[in-house]
Amino acid sequence: MAILLDRNTRVLVQGITGREARMVTAHMLAYGTAVVCGVTPGRGGEEVAGVPVYDTVAEAVVAHRPTAALISVPPAATLDATLEAIEAGLRLLLIATERVPKHDALRLLRAAGAAGVRVIGPNSVGLINPSQRVKLGAIGGDRPERAFVPGRIGVISRSGGMTAELGLMLRRRGFGVSTAVSVGGDALIGTPPADLLPLFQADPETDAVVLFGEPGTRFEEDVAEALADGRFSKPLFALVAGRFTESLPEGTAFGHAAAIIRGGSGRPSTKLAALRQAGAWATDDLDELFRFLDALASSRADRKPGQH
Amino acid sequence: MARLLEHDAKAILAARGIPVPRGQAVSSPEEARRAAVALGRPVVVKALVPVGKRGKSGAVRLAADPEAAGEAAAALLGREVGGFPVERVLVEEAVPVAGERYLAIVLDADGRTVRVLAGREGGIEVEELARREGGIASLELAPCEGLMPFHARQLWRSAGVRGPALPRLGQLTAALHRTFIELEAELLEINPLAETAAGELVATGAVVALDEAALFRQPELAERVVSGPAWRPPTALERQVAAINAAEPYRGSARYLELEGGDIAFLCGGGGASLLLFDALLRAGGRPANYAEIGGNPTEMKVAALARVVLSKPGVRGLFVAHNLTNNTQVDVLARGVVQALCEAGRLPPDFPVVARETGVNEAEGRAIFEAAGVRWLGEEVTLSEAARIMVQAMRERYGESDGDPARP
Repeated sequence: MAILLDRNTRVLVQGITGREARMVTAHMLAYGTAVVCGVTPGRGGEEVAGVPVYDTVAEAVVAHRPTAALISVPPAATLDATLEAIEAGLRLLLIATERVPKHDALRLLRAAGAAGVRVIGPNSVGLINPSQRVKLGAIGGDRPERAFVPGRIGVISRSGGMTAELGLMLRRRGFGVSTAVSVGGDALIGTPPADLLPLFQADPETDAVVLFGEPGTRFEEDVAEALADGRFSKPLFALVAGRFTESLPEGTAFGHAAAIIRGGSGRPSTKLAALRQAGAWATDDLDELFRFLDALASSRADRKPGQH
Repeated sequence: MARLLEHDAKAILAARGIPVPRGQAVSSPEEARRAAVALGRPVVVKALVPVGKRGKSGAVRLAADPEAAGEAAAALLGREVGGFPVERVLVEEAVPVAGERYLAIVLDADGRTVRVLAGREGGIEVEELARREGGIASLELAPCEGLMPFHARQLWRSAGVRGPALPRLGQLTAALHRTFIELEAELLEINPLAETAAGELVATGAVVALDEAALFRQPELAERVVSGPAWRPPTALERQVAAINAAEPYRGSARYLELEGGDIAFLCGGGGASLLLFDALLRAGGRPANYAEIGGNPTEMKVAALARVVLSKPGVRGLFVAHNLTNNTQVDVLARGVVQALCEAGRLPPDFPVVARETGVNEAEGRAIFEAAGVRWLGEEVTLSEAARIMVQAMRERYGESDGDPARP
């Protein structure tokens, strides 16, 4: 079961004729994902890796009934592509595009929220369900199984690259992954880490969650709140990187507005303290993260959380 | 955040119907004197640097006559304010003020909203004011929602403002909101927003920050923004990296931050792994000479250009190359670029320690290239933290257990 993705997910790729999207489409198909159609305005009638290309999402939806879209278009086209997918009735959108203008990101997230559409990203490398061999996005490249083997750990990462690295390190220590989600590297994203916790909480195939956090935003503080008030009760292992950024000069704030509206500071040390206070196994040291996981595994010797 | 200097910020506001003081940006005391003569009244002389709190750091001076304006400019020019050298000052008419208010429109990423902030009293103590109940009134707007003047009047009323200025505040706030949307700004702040005895409004202080990712739609502003660290101007090496990115914007991305001191050149990526690796180097007792994030499958030429930059910083005595398991960045391409730069610089192992933890696409070929050049290659058996420890150990083996200061090897 895992979360968000399964064998029944039918994928539409927006911007499918682009260089990156062509490669990702081929990799998704090779892994076993049902990529059923693609869209590039003006390129309808072509094929990419055997997948038919349409001019509009509306046409592709009528012909193939996709349930999820991978949006891989240039930054300036992302708002338009996302609104097109929402209007055509898609329920899960993964936006891979980096450097989406912030005003556009605000607008597309508002529209998705109003329509009840789940958005992962922008700036997400993808999500993957290894037990069913389904992935949405570039995650894992052409060899997903090198990083992601089936197992019972959920992965949530603010860094696309670290999603694969964590999968790889988990695999090497005998653990596997139920679902791994690169939530996107920006501050304005559709599904911040705390929003995934209820899904992992409800997933019988997930025993614990590993979170990779970074400086900035309130995302880790929100995760701590979800732990503290019991919305998430499985073990949570958090790695928050970037402690050194706290020793960089801050510079003089440009204007007063940030100080007026901001409560939290986005500092890794504050995030770690909040997570620990809430009962997470939180650290800024990768090796300590794995010591935590090993400790959990040996304390439950009868049922190692990584084993499928 | 792409910042604008105050004279550019005010030009933008003036062009959109928001009154600003008359003024001129100048770069010498004599020009300042002449500007004051032309304005024909007392002036304010302000250091043009992309930092806040200039009033508190003495970078804003009142001058009663042109001679005083020249002296104020002489005192400010060449000084450093908030880490930035003052190369120009803004000379503008001093506005006779009956009251000062605070107005800002800000993109609030945490709240996923656009927020309008209105303060009955503005000035340099506005943050103090914000801590008091009702000191600052706040209005949230959906991103594509317009702001009508009546919304703004309601906001100002809830900030405790009444009288003849109210309709003008409504109009000005609506105009500022249109500007915010048009420029795709992250922050527009008018502080103080001066009110004359006659109830006229003048934006005597203005702060504008734009979204870097949207600058492609604002080409006329793109060349005027100040980017880079908030605490100093970009260094020569940082400007080189910006030029490398600009020369090849479509393949691979590089962030580079030069740091003081350090002896380990840091050529790592992507974003999260760089943060983790830098923390790990420090924990192991290493001293990185720079921070960097390199990813997105760069070309060999781009890798070599970046490697040259990180290697050229004075004091560098070793190189750390590391990434997370790559999704698309090709390890062989990385290896070729790095080795090319090492050869050119004549800095090769074992004399110059180089450790590369590079695993992922085209790994076997990449490993062979690294190892042929004498680079210590590490694969997935080694965690990112272990790789950082091995790098620091390689520096100790080469340079001894001394504190490793390049000045005292």
